[in-house]
Amino acid sequence: MQKSNFFKGLMACTAMVAVSESALASEWGSFDGVTIEAKLIGGQQYEGLYGRIADWEAATGAKVDIISKKSHFEIDKEIKSDMAAGTTDWCVGSNHSSFAPQYEGLYTDLNDLVPADVVAEFVQGNIGASTVGGELLMLPRAQFDVSVLYYLKSNYEDADKTAAFKAEYGYDLAVPETWEQVKDQSIFFADPPNFYGTQYAGKDEAIVGRFYEMVVAEGGNYLDETKKPIFNSDAGQRALQWFVDLYEAKAVPAGTTSYVWDDLGQGFASGTVALNLDWPGWAGFFNDPESSKAAGNVGVAVQPMGSVTRTGWSGHHGFSVTNDCANKEAAVSLVNFLTSEDSQLAESAGGSLPTRSAVWEANVAAAKAGDDAFRAEALAAFAEGAKYAFAVPPIPEWGESTNIVFPELQAAIVGDKTVKEALDDAAEAVDELMRESGYY
Amino acid sequence: MTRRRLPEWFVLLLPAIIVIAAVVLIPLLFSLYSSFTPYKLTRPSTLWKWVGTYNYEKILSDAKFWAAFGRTVLFLTIVLNLELLFGLGIALMMNKVTWGQRTLRTILMFPMMFSPILVGFQFKFIFNDNIGLVNNVLQSMGFNVALPWLVDAKLAMFSIMFAEIWMSTSVFAILILAGLFAMPRDPLEAAKVDGCTPWQSFRHITLPFLMPFIYIAMTIRSLDVARAYDIVQIMTGGGPARRTELLWTLMSRTGYVDARMGLANAMGYVSILLSILFTIYFFRKLSAARAELGMAG
Repeated sequence: MQKSNFFKGLMACTAMVAVSESALASEWGSFDGVTIEAKLIGGQQYEGLYGRIADWEAATGAKVDIISKKSHFEIDKEIKSDMAAGTTDWCVGSNHSSFAPQYEGLYTDLNDLVPADVVAEFVQGNIGASTVGGELLMLPRAQFDVSVLYYLKSNYEDADKTAAFKAEYGYDLAVPETWEQVKDQSIFFADPPNFYGTQYAGKDEAIVGRFYEMVVAEGGNYLDETKKPIFNSDAGQRALQWFVDLYEAKAVPAGTTSYVWDDLGQGFASGTVALNLDWPGWAGFFNDPESSKAAGNVGVAVQPMGSVTRTGWSGHHGFSVTNDCANKEAAVSLVNFLTSEDSQLAESAGGSLPTRSAVWEANVAAAKAGDDAFRAEALAAFAEGAKYAFAVPPIPEWGESTNIVFPELQAAIVGDKTVKEALDDAAEAVDELMRESGYY
Repeated sequence: MTRRRLPEWFVLLLPAIIVIAAVVLIPLLFSLYSSFTPYKLTRPSTLWKWVGTYNYEKILSDAKFWAAFGRTVLFLTIVLNLELLFGLGIALMMNKVTWGQRTLRTILMFPMMFSPILVGFQFKFIFNDNIGLVNNVLQSMGFNVALPWLVDAKLAMFSIMFAEIWMSTSVFAILILAGLFAMPRDPLEAAKVDGCTPWQSFRHITLPFLMPFIYIAMTIRSLDVARAYDIVQIMTGGGPARRTELLWTLMSRTGYVDARMGLANAMGYVSILLSILFTIYFFRKLSAARAELGMAG
């Protein structure tokens, strides 16, 4: 009798597995014997998702051969070399909204291959930033980036500081709502070389991105509709002056012009920086006692405003399918799978931000219902911050223009040029680039 | 009617000619050709668009390029001379060591064994203004300062020079030490008998004998330093505000990040002039030094 029950149970389980597998197979298609070559971004925060690839392989019968896995900057160079050499017959590539416009002709328009109702399930701002010249070049994964303000809570709980700040600046010391307040508070909190008010990325695309969002927050823009540089406007000068003032006041570390994301993250985690505009990937790190001296003392608030709107330079990662791929149907199936609701739920469980509306809602609801107050606070800040998100100009020359602009921004910050001289020189050089590129 | 045969010398050299053509000549000609095009890595079709000397005209009138060129010459001059001084000093001291010299020679080679990228990261940490070793030592000694080693124009050049010298002084030391080992003892002993001071012996006997070795080291290192990239890229990336921009950081950014390979190749060909000038200069000096020693020029 027992034996008979055991066999019945076993058969029922087998039937259930077969049904669920066939459901999976019907959802993702059947591609027996197909091998999809992929070039993916590597790094700890991105790897978790790749563990799910085995599920797609089991469901479809296809194989995924990851022929390259590198940091995004390395994979960008490799893809450019592939384009130069004409070796672009691999199928799926990691992509990023800031990089996508550069790869002209490499990736296929997913509007033709992904059903419109699936595309509609993503946050439309992310879909807009994934679209270049009307072509949807990638499907976004749960790696959306917009920066919010991390701060050390203890600075706002000290009665002496509060009173001293009020006496000096004439308004109450509270978590800053505007970038002018960030400047005041940064100068007030700074005690170099032991403690700094804030810090900012100081080179490469990083500083240009930060400058770009400050220009927008001040009511200006980087380029006009004809792609002519207009960042040397009054708004641009006000934006750059903010960086210069903080540097001159020694409210930021002297080496900030050589810092990029890792240096900034480690700096805030060392507990020696009061205010830090930073990305979502750092939230867990900042509040983890193993990695951060600031753990337990970290607050998260929506990013402050310029004189017109809030900052919100954003970007996101995604997956694209090459035009030269031999089996686009299978490649699109893989990309759909990696950006599906289940995949985004799994990936965003690690702390990254999703790009699907339903996953946003699920995460915010779960955080509210959970017992991790910090996670709920951070997620609420990012959900609010995402409302102000905007991507970089979708042109292939964005990266090259940042290489022209960042040394000029640095020149103003370290005092080699005035703000106006630096911005005028940068605008002149970007203008030449745009002319050479045939925009006007 | 006899079949025409290729000359034997040519047949024998043919494999070498083919290999050299494949790995040196063809890439060289290709890069030379592409320097006359607006070749962008991301737009392969631009390789076939001839723009004549546009890239060269752009470079020759570009103040940023010439600033990087001048900075590279300055970097090269200071680094080579300091490496020579330190290398000579180390070699002379090492030559006096009578016990454990082999071990010391091996230890001397250690910095050369590191990858330049690793050395770059090591010194980037050492000179970090906030969490770096140097500033922390200064602060623990009571100086309440955070020197911007990688930001200030002079300090940043000093820092990258320091890293470059730390890694490569042993090239000079080893080559000069080889010269000291090869040096005949008789002239030195005769000078001693004649009452020469140690300085006179060094100035008029040892140094002239070492000069051919020094110029060979100079030639090798001048080519190396003129291509300085890894350490500078890691430590400062040529910044801030182009304060440490050298030719190769500028070229690599233009070629690989901006994908403007045609322009980067044109920069490469202009900057090769620098290496050719230094090489000719040091070879002339080498010939003169050898002639002074009575060797064939």
